Amino acid sequence: MNRFRLALRLLWREGRSGELTILLIALIIAVTSSTAISLFADRLHRTMSTQAAEFLAADLVITSPTLLPPVWQEKAKQLNLKQAQTAEFSSVLIENDELLLAGIKSVSELYPLRGHLKVTQTDYNDEKITTKPPKQGNVWVEPRILSALKLQLGDSLMVGEKKLTISHILTYEPDKRGDFYSFSPRVMINADDLAATEVIQAGSHVHYFFQYSGQKDDLATFSQWAKLHLNASQRLMDVHEDRPELGNALSRAERYLGLSSIIVILIAGVAIAMATQRYSERHFNTSAILRCLGCKQNEIIWLYSYQFLFLGLFASSLGTLLGWLGQQGLFYLLRDLLPAEVANPSFLAVILGFITGQAILLGFALPPLLRLKKVSALRVLRRELEPLPSSAWLVYGCALTLISLLIWRYTNDLKMTATLLGGGLITLIIMGSIIYALLIQARPLLPKLSLSWRLGLQGLLRTPKTTVSQILAFTMTLVAMILSFVVSSDLIRDWQQQLPDNAPNHFALNIFPEQIETFKDDLKQENIQLNQLYPVVKGRLVEINDTPVQQIVSKESQGQRATHRDLSLTFSSQLPQDNKITQGQWWDSESTEKGLVSIEEKLAKSLKVTLGDKLTFTVGSQQFNARISNIRSVKWDTMKPNFYMVFSPSTLDGYAKTYLTSFYLPKENKNSLNRLVKKYSAMTVLEVDAILDQFKTILTQLTQAINYLLYFALLAGFTVLFAAVYASLDQRIYEGALMRTLGANRALLRNSHLIEFSLLGFISGFLAIVIAETLTFALYYFALKFEYHPHYLLWILSPLAGTITVAIAGYLGVNKVITQPPMKILRTTADN
Amino acid sequence: MSQSQVNQTVETIIETENLGKTVFSSDAELNILSAVDLRIKSAESLAIVGASGSGKSTLLSLLAGLDTPSTGSIHLKGHDITQMDEDGRAAIRNQFVGFVFQSFQLLSNLSALENVMLPLELANDNNAEYSATLLLERVGLGERLSHTPKQLSGGEQQRVALARAFVTRPAILFADEPTGNLDSKTGSHIIDLLFELNQEQQTTLVLVTHDKALANRCQRMITLEAGKVI
Repeated sequence: MNRFRLALRLLWREGRSGELTILLIALIIAVTSSTAISLFADRLHRTMSTQAAEFLAADLVITSPTLLPPVWQEKAKQLNLKQAQTAEFSSVLIENDELLLAGIKSVSELYPLRGHLKVTQTDYNDEKITTKPPKQGNVWVEPRILSALKLQLGDSLMVGEKKLTISHILTYEPDKRGDFYSFSPRVMINADDLAATEVIQAGSHVHYFFQYSGQKDDLATFSQWAKLHLNASQRLMDVHEDRPELGNALSRAERYLGLSSIIVILIAGVAIAMATQRYSERHFNTSAILRCLGCKQNEIIWLYSYQFLFLGLFASSLGTLLGWLGQQGLFYLLRDLLPAEVANPSFLAVILGFITGQAILLGFALPPLLRLKKVSALRVLRRELEPLPSSAWLVYGCALTLISLLIWRYTNDLKMTATLLGGGLITLIIMGSIIYALLIQARPLLPKLSLSWRLGLQGLLRTPKTTVSQILAFTMTLVAMILSFVVSSDLIRDWQQQLPDNAPNHFALNIFPEQIETFKDDLKQENIQLNQLYPVVKGRLVEINDTPVQQIVSKESQGQRATHRDLSLTFSSQLPQDNKITQGQWWDSESTEKGLVSIEEKLAKSLKVTLGDKLTFTVGSQQFNARISNIRSVKWDTMKPNFYMVFSPSTLDGYAKTYLTSFYLPKENKNSLNRLVKKYSAMTVLEVDAILDQFKTILTQLTQAINYLLYFALLAGFTVLFAAVYASLDQRIYEGALMRTLGANRALLRNSHLIEFSLLGFISGFLAIVIAETLTFALYYFALKFEYHPHYLLWILSPLAGTITVAIAGYLGVNKVITQPPMKILRTTADN
Repeated sequence: MSQSQVNQTVETIIETENLGKTVFSSDAELNILSAVDLRIKSAESLAIVGASGSGKSTLLSLLAGLDTPSTGSIHLKGHDITQMDEDGRAAIRNQFVGFVFQSFQLLSNLSALENVMLPLELANDNNAEYSATLLLERVGLGERLSHTPKQLSGGEQQRVALARAFVTRPAILFADEPTGNLDSKTGSHIIDLLFELNQEQQTTLVLVTHDKALANRCQRMITLEAGKVI
């Protein structure tokens, strides 16, 4: 206990004298950054998940072709989950002698559990947001229903046998999907009216959606329970699987948040290691005196460990508080983009930030601190006695273990952890060795240089090992900053490419071949740019290598879902845009060979088929065969028409086909749509603009959040670079003062210092871009699945930024050699 | 244990036998110290003199247990410190030994009072502040308690060092050129103080110096030349 009190007293005395400032700043940066990012990422993730849940209109959805037994309702009730239920089916509506196939959706009282509906009573203007479904006896319809059936608001509409009043125009529903039922114009009725319509009979084709929302833990319990009770025809929906365009964006953003955490921790770790190194070196004499006064080796370590423990507790508490304030600040900056209700900070994330702080301190500070144990008592008589450095295994082992654990904990991704660590380490070792060799080789150059260049270079060559470790520390910090910058800008660019401003936001289906020419002309007149037209034949996969498909596909698989319904089959001489061949070869564009099919790779995997397999399809009552000629990967998140099966051009000859296309229509030109729909009555238009807008909002939020994180990482990086330079100045200041006493003038010292630091910064900046490019390549290839492009501009900017930053920091740091009397400096430095 | 053995242990505080120190460089071995047999009695003051490089400081560091000999043994207060590990020797230093150095060796971040308190705090003494204040007043620095070494002159720093050395009432005090960094007037004040405190506390004093006048104030003097007592 006494030792503890003594340690605290020593700590207090050290703190008072300013000895701990750099170390404390480094620690506070570390904890502040890790807490801020961990809290920010956690809150953003939960906010985004809630927002993403809106796309399902619930936290968890189970689809089923039949009603679920009452036990499901009871289980959900037990877990305090809110429940809603929708049923979707197709029905033909007949009014005013007009006939229309509509997608009917009956919704229960609490629908939607997440998100909201938008309705209007005055045709698009004055949209109102509501979270309540239609009242019993009322019906909400999409505008196309009114125009197609010549109806107006307030008119009655027969749905099956039930007469309902059209009370609102439905303009947005959160969980509108791109499937067949959603393609037809929507009619929304109250669940209590469903029975009276008498549309649903035994054997009717209905999709039920059982929706649940509640606390995360309860939902997880329910989800686990549900998985055990699902039958082959029922399925648990998931935003990542059912909305791939959104799921991909979210998972990439999450990975970036994870990467940012690691990056700031790495930056802070470098700062702590350097600051502790300096602290340790400045305490060799103190340790020697303590040893002389009878302190045992272990007591010395305990004295310092207690001090660091306390220092860590103090810095972690302060850092946690600052981190908390920091993430509040980030959310404040994002307030216009994020929903009004942002998830609360989780206590666990706060605690994690705190623990991370302690762990970083332990991993990076312990090895330099252990050197103090080895200081010989004889140093009181012989100052030149330096303790042996700690074992390299210990120094790097500690830091590496810690970084691996943190990376793994943040990314939950072994591949990414291995990529970052392995790639980084190998490049670092190679580069370190090359720099060491170059430094040694540079010695013969010295006599040929001018005095200030000679002195500057000598500063680097004096102790090449120290120089290499300093360069590597600066390099690590710069690498972290570059990675942060590069990945964030590539991520954002990828999203922008994925969703350009005029991305198609409407799909038109069921265009007959004879209508194509007039349809093209009409679009031109309306100033709408037409994309590619795809022929579509509705068909079903029935056999694989002459075996009925249902005997091959496993329950609940993608294959089962794909073969359970009609597929949109198309043919093309060219490989569709954004598709890539993963196996086999695309057919020759001039080829007239019949019976070849190209299949999407995930479906191929699920159906367990490979090149050369024979697939049998039915179209209406006819049957035909095709051989798998190649397998494609498809980008499902592009919001462009995509197909599971593409046939060689003449294979589908003779079957009735329609055309499908997509186009961009600005919101203000919506009336064009009404004119088109009127003229092409059989055509179905799928309006995805609302979904796209929602998706774009989420991407904008993520982009902004990522930008702020980047600024944060860069700020931390620059602060640490400055701190790291300062931590390495003692020896330089001492030698500078000594040189002044020997008659060196200020200009010479200033120039030689500038040269020395500029060289340090330049080499670090150059190394940093080499390592950062290697890491980016590895990250993109293995973890983020981006296409890698070299960042040419950074090859100039990085060495330049390194040179300027390190030169400025170094120059400011050693400036006192020039401005203060040398004797004063010599006396001060000799005391330490 | 017979009465004569007890008397001898009480009488002799340090005893060395065939003490030697050899260092090896890449191409040769160098005998810094060889065959030193020395017996120092309790409360005795002994000066070790000799030219630079004669091995004075090496002998002092061996006697104080700061370094280990290549040959021979050292008994300090009856303990064979050559058989001990570094931690064992640290415990002996803590219990029996005080130091005064040529370069003062004060901790620059601590005040004068805190520097003097430190050895007491290490020994878990609850009256550290009181004892340290008393001794600093005794050496004439009662008004400078809160000053750090940087704010004190060389003579004042050495007085703090003296106070730190005597505050634990060590059985034996090792002084390595205590006036080496001071002008002759300040040096002589420090030496007066050193001998006064030595008298008051009946401490054994082992002093390394090349100042003949200072050496003459000690009860006994040994001279080293090329690592040997002559």
